[in-house]
Amino acid sequence: MSTWLGRAWARGILTTRYPAAPAADDEAPETGRPPMPTRPLDELAEAPGSCPTGAIGPAAVDQGKCIRCARCRAAGFALTGPVEASGRRRSELVWPGGRPGATVPEAGLAPLGRSVHVFLVDVGSCNACNLEVLALANPYYDATRLGIFFTNSPRHADVLLVVGVPTEEMVEPVWRAYEAMPAPKAVVAVGACPTSGGVFAGNAGLRPGLDAVLPVDRYVPGCPPPPVAILDAILALIGRGRPRAGEA
Amino acid sequence: MTAPSSGRTVRGAARPGARVPAYWAPDGAVALWNDLAAGRSAVESPPASPFPEDVRSAWAVPRFDPRERAVAPRQPVEGYGVFTFPYGPVSMGVPEAGRFDVRTYGERVLELVPRVGYKSRRILASLVGLTPADAGLRVERLAGNFAAAHVSAFLAAAESAAGRAVPSRDAWVRAVAQEVQRIYNHVHVLARLAEAASQNVGLAQAHALAEEMLRVAGATFGHRWMFGALLPGGPVARLGPSDRDRLARTLDRLSEEFESLWEVFQGSRTFVDRIQTTGPVGRDEAEHWGAVGPTLRATGAAWDDRLRVPVVPYDDLFLPVAVESAGDALARLLVRVQEVRSSFLLLEQMLQRWPRAEEAPVDPAPPVGPHRGIGRVESPSGDLVYDVALRDGRVAAVGLRTASDANWPVFAVGMRSQVFTDFHFAWESFGLLFAETDR
Ligand code: SF4
Ligand code: SF4
Repeated sequence: MSTWLGRAWARGILTTRYPAAPAADDEAPETGRPPMPTRPLDELAEAPGSCPTGAIGPAAVDQGKCIRCARCRAAGFALTGPVEASGRRRSELVWPGGRPGATVPEAGLAPLGRSVHVFLVDVGSCNACNLEVLALANPYYDATRLGIFFTNSPRHADVLLVVGVPTEEMVEPVWRAYEAMPAPKAVVAVGACPTSGGVFAGNAGLRPGLDAVLPVDRYVPGCPPPPVAILDAILALIGRGRPRAGEA
Repeated sequence: MTAPSSGRTVRGAARPGARVPAYWAPDGAVALWNDLAAGRSAVESPPASPFPEDVRSAWAVPRFDPRERAVAPRQPVEGYGVFTFPYGPVSMGVPEAGRFDVRTYGERVLELVPRVGYKSRRILASLVGLTPADAGLRVERLAGNFAAAHVSAFLAAAESAAGRAVPSRDAWVRAVAQEVQRIYNHVHVLARLAEAASQNVGLAQAHALAEEMLRVAGATFGHRWMFGALLPGGPVARLGPSDRDRLARTLDRLSEEFESLWEVFQGSRTFVDRIQTTGPVGRDEAEHWGAVGPTLRATGAAWDDRLRVPVVPYDDLFLPVAVESAGDALARLLVRVQEVRSSFLLLEQMLQRWPRAEEAPVDPAPPVGPHRGIGRVESPSGDLVYDVALRDGRVAAVGLRTASDANWPVFAVGMRSQVFTDFHFAWESFGLLFAETDR
């Protein structure tokens, strides 16, 4: 045991200062951030065609569809947007002119209080989102220090973190997990898959997004979203997230 | 190209007594699935294959897609008090959507049947008609934590089909990505085993090391899971001279970190006791069911695609192959530990010899049919094979056999007569992904 402690002592504190400090580069590498136009959208004429998921429209960028493939860099985008890109409604992820849109502040899920228990459900993911959610437990993010605890049963959960694009087969299991949760409860769609179908949008037998299955309280864009973005979304749900454009 | 069609049934190969050599694992697996398919309905009807049924080659890969929902040799058990305990598809112990049906009378597992298909995203059919670069975006999202292996195998198959030479640098970048991801996945398995054994301090430290590997990937490839980094137009791998120096120093530190971590794990009797003799698989069973990767090597067979299917740059590097003989969870972990070491060693060699990466383009593997190629790499869990056909430069059909496909039945066999409390140790040690099978 002394060897374990010796090792831990030698390494010192690894834990991020996020959310007290903004996300560092190593916490959110290039593709951990939303693409932003470097010039006004209408000047980037060729932009819409370069996007494999159709996230770039003539007047707005739908961050919920973006899979952060970085192909739009050639058309004048840079992946430099804020890590705190999640939104309460799907429409909040559609950024007019490519910039975070202003939204009307509204009460979050205040009844949940300051500490939450979260339960992870996979409804058709590639496993990267699952692992990014589980990474919140590692010493670098240490979600417990913020009062976020993983639970082993939906019956003890306040927040359902759903990863993956809902397949026909998982509709019933995820709905039953949701029903088993005590109220008040919240659902977070983690990643492009549950938000919009992501890269798999339109495949046979898939639901177009999680909101076709469950009421969703927060959408987190990214493919996968880096752990800091997931952390921020959970905190924003209980009114403790970092300040963001358009929200009080 | 999906599901075994009637003309390709090779039912006999998996009969008891019929030995299937390990390197013909694909055929062993196909026979198994054919047997299982009898009487079961596929989740979706397979699209027609554009190929005649008899297209075979030295690297023949069966064209199948395991849509069948049970992947395990069946050995129906009945008796007083025997019942089926369904575990999943929603559970925190296995954080993926998949189910296990456990036949038991209380504690001992009499039979375990993995049920796949819950998260079938119908990816393969959706690749048809896309360019390899666009299809690659979906292929890497088939199994996110094995993305580098999947994309490398897929691109190698597409390049072989197109007869297109690969810039040498691309081949090297793919190898670096695969080795970084292999270290991540093996360390992740160590962390999950520590979690199952309630070794919380060890868990935290292994988990931290896994996170460091993701950060190495993020800093080098612009993406923590390397999505897009091996495809044209994606984030560009930062491997200039100063980047290589920095990367080499970081890897040096992490390799020392890993050694000192493993030393403490090794000295923990409670940890070693929990995984020793857990989920045992004999060499005969492993070969019969067509095991691949660390699962196979833990039973004494020295099969590693990086040596048996040497491609640039592996043909030029020193790679000690990791072999153990006990066949249990501990042996599988020991193989992974040796492979973490050999991956660090490979990365060191690649970074030292990098100028060679700027040399002449690499010839693709010879096609196995008209506009049809095979790509084969050693993924973190074992042999991964892609079979890609192109038409007018676009994907016409894709078949694949993943390490998880091959190892499901081996896992089921290894769980027989184990106690259910050992489930997580056995499960984590095999490194199986539902995502790889549900595609
Ligand atoms: S990074 Fe996002 S917006 Fe840009 S091309 Fe890729 S999917 Fe489209
Ligand atoms: S959003 Fe991206 S990373 Fe997450 S499950 Fe979907 S494909 Fe995988």
